[in-house]
This record gives sequence, C-alpha cells and structure tokens, in this order.
Amino acid sequence: MTVNRAAAGLIAAMALAAPAAAHHGTNINYDRSKQWTAKAVVTEFKYVNPHAQLFFDVTDDKGVVTHWSGELLANPAQMLRNGWTRKRSIEALQFGAKIVVTVAPSRAGGETGLVVKIENEKGEELLSGGPNAGGPEPPRPTP
Amino acid sequence: MTSRSRLSLAFGFAVAFAGALAAVSHAQAPPGRGRGGPGYLKLFDSNMPFDPHDLAGIWSPNGNGFGGGGRCRDCGDRGYSFEFPVFTPAGQAVFDRNIPSYGRARDSADAVAHPEEHIGRRRAQPPALGNDTYGTCNPMGMPRAILYPDPVEFIALPDRIYQHFEWGYGLRTVWTDGRKLPSPDEVDLPRWWGYATARWQGNTLVVNSTGYDERTWIDYFGYPHSDQMVLHEEYTRTNFDTLELKMTITDPKYYAKPWVGETKRMHLLPKDFIKQSGWPSLLEDLCAPANENEFNRVIRDPAGTGKPAARSGR
Repeated sequence: MTVNRAAAGLIAAMALAAPAAAHHGTNINYDRSKQWTAKAVVTEFKYVNPHAQLFFDVTDDKGVVTHWSGELLANPAQMLRNGWTRKRSIEALQFGAKIVVTVAPSRAGGETGLVVKIENEKGEELLSGGPNAGGPEPPRPTP
Repeated sequence: MTSRSRLSLAFGFAVAFAGALAAVSHAQAPPGRGRGGPGYLKLFDSNMPFDPHDLAGIWSPNGNGFGGGGRCRDCGDRGYSFEFPVFTPAGQAVFDRNIPSYGRARDSADAVAHPEEHIGRRRAQPPALGNDTYGTCNPMGMPRAILYPDPVEFIALPDRIYQHFEWGYGLRTVWTDGRKLPSPDEVDLPRWWGYATARWQGNTLVVNSTGYDERTWIDYFGYPHSDQMVLHEEYTRTNFDTLELKMTITDPKYYAKPWVGETKRMHLLPKDFIKQSGWPSLLEDLCAPANENEFNRVIRDPAGTGKPAARSGR
C-alpha cells in the first residue's frame, strides 16, 4: 500500500504539472466564479468522448429536486491516465450514488454545468485529475 | 478494475515517473524555457544515439504524455502562429465568418487585456453559437490535427509515412515515393487530409501538401484556408526524443503573404507507454458522431444557450 500511495502522489503531481485541455471550447461555456457545492444523487454517468458526463439530482431545503446535467473536462483518455478506468468510474458513480458535487454553472443559465469536483460519502475525491484539471492551457512563457 | 490491477497501473506510473526523473539527470537540458524541469515526461536520455532519418514512433506534444493536460512548455500552443496574418479581402471575410470556441472570450475583459494577441485568439464564443465543423466530429485536417495536444504515431513504410493521430484516430498519408505534388489548381477533389509528398533535405524531412477541403480550419482559432493553400512542413529530429516542426502556409487567395508558424516540438513516448486493458497502443480516441451528437443535445447546446437540457437518452 505504501507503493500505491506513493504512486498516487506522483500521479497527482503529474496531473498538477499541466492543466487539462478541452477540445470543445468547454471552458467558455461555464462561469467558474459562480461555482457552488451541494449534496447530490447520481442518476447517470457516461464514460464517453468527447467528455465524461454526469447527471444528478440536487434537493434543496424545501425538498424541491432539481435535475442537473454536467460535463467533466476530462475525457476517458485523461481519466485512464489518472487511473480511473471505465469499470472503476462507473462503479463509483452508479445510479443512486450519494455524492458531494462542485459545479460551475452555465454562463447562459439553466441546469447545466461543468462538474469541477466530485466526492463520495467518505469524502474521497472521484475521477480526480488534480485541482487544476480542466483549467486553461498553461500560459505561454515570456520570450 | 481490481485493486491488484489498480496497484499495477499505479506502480507502472511510479516506475515510469521514476525513470523519467533518472533520465533527466543524464539528459541535456531541454529546449524549453523556465520554471525548471522539461515540462513533459522525460522518458529517454536525449543523448542516446539515433538515426535522424528515422521518425517512426509515437511523438507527443502533451505535457502528460497523452489524455489531456495541454501541450508541454516547449511544444508551442495549439495555435498555428503568434505572428499576425495578413489577409486578402477574401480571406478576411472568411475569417470574420468563422466563430471558434477556443481562446479568450469575445469582448471579455480578458480579451481586452491582451491586445498583443491577434483577434483570432480573442473572439471565442460558446460552441452552441459557433460554427467549428470539428464540433460535429468532422476531420480536423492539417495543420490543425498536429496542433492538438495528444500524440501522433509516425508509421514509416518504404514509400510513405503515415501520421496516425490519437485524437480522432485520424490518418494522414505522406508519400515519399517521388511522386509529384499537384498544384492546387490540378486538384479535382479536395481531401480532408490533403495530398502530401515528402523528401529528405539533409536531416530534415520536408513535406509539402495541398488540396485540403476548405471546411477545415488551420487551427483552433478559426483561421481559414482556401483551396489554394500549400502547407510546407519541416520535421527535424534534433535529439533522441525531440522532433521539431516548422511550418509555412502559402495561400494567395486568403493571405497576402506567406504565414510562418510558431516552431512546434514533440517528444518520443515508449511504444508501450499508452496502455489500456493491458493493451499497448494509441487509444481509439474517436470523436464519434453518435457520442458527439448526444453530448451536444444534452450538455453543450443547453449550456451555450440556457435552454432546458434534454434528458439523457440511455
């Protein structure tokens, strides 16, 4: 297990080294300055290109349920690189799974957002590529 | 995935990374700039002997090797050039019609704050409002495909070199059999991946190509090309694990003078570095319309317009 933890640390360091690239203009759709975090229940998870997708329900204090659709910046290739194979990911986010999700909502409004972070009931981060995953490409070095 | 295979995968990464660190200590300083470290996975000793005419292998501009993460620091970004292009009136009109979704948001404070960048890099709109043909998984063509951060495998045969792009699983053929490249006007039927020939000039592989479908963009920022475009590429293996690419576009219909690209670099990956299900190879990282259309329907278009999201079709 020591090796496993060390390897996980290295993977995290590698993930931190360079943020993810989104090939479909994902960053421009969402407002990261309005991120929110809430408890949610998974209704569906898709491990597909061009981006993994998470569908989930959020219930407010009055019991009103809102259905949300979210995309992750990661695609299966990136998740695979980070150790999140298809089976592992689907198992972690099966229908009915209770999660805590952080979402950057669409700039245009509505119940669509960028899923920035997912934690399970134990507080473990799922599908993690590091806190920078999905950010813009690194700035161009100054010549 | 079993805990054993997870451990195996994690251990594989650890070994690869440790190897990379060891290689760094013996390798020549990379051509990148600043911030320490090579900015990419250093998996080989750059000083190992190599045949400069052997380009076969998996080359990656990705800072993490593959699978997102952006281009490495010395690889150049996914734009074709920072040089301002000089459009003809026809080229300007097409440029203005193209609406990319990559770059700084149009009219944003971020866009205003960077006047040193051409407006092409500062006019992005949500994909739902854009007109990037790649948004529906059409082939990227060249040079856009080689600007994407993920790997490309060079497959060398006696009479041709295939460039196999992981993202999109696209295949471009570069002929080395001595055939003559047609002039743009001789091309009857344009190709998404164009017509390309190559020859060695010293230790540089010089590729010339034309006959590209006009619907492809030069890069992610929506720079157009016409059916008159000739793309000139020069590939030079500068050490064991670095491949350098210089490009020039000549397109008198859309550009008043040749447009020189920013020098791009890629780095060699071991053949078995990319692996899934225990299967070493490029990933079948397809942009499949079946996935893309559904993604657009339930996520991307609602996110860009604010209209209620369609329910996911299981």
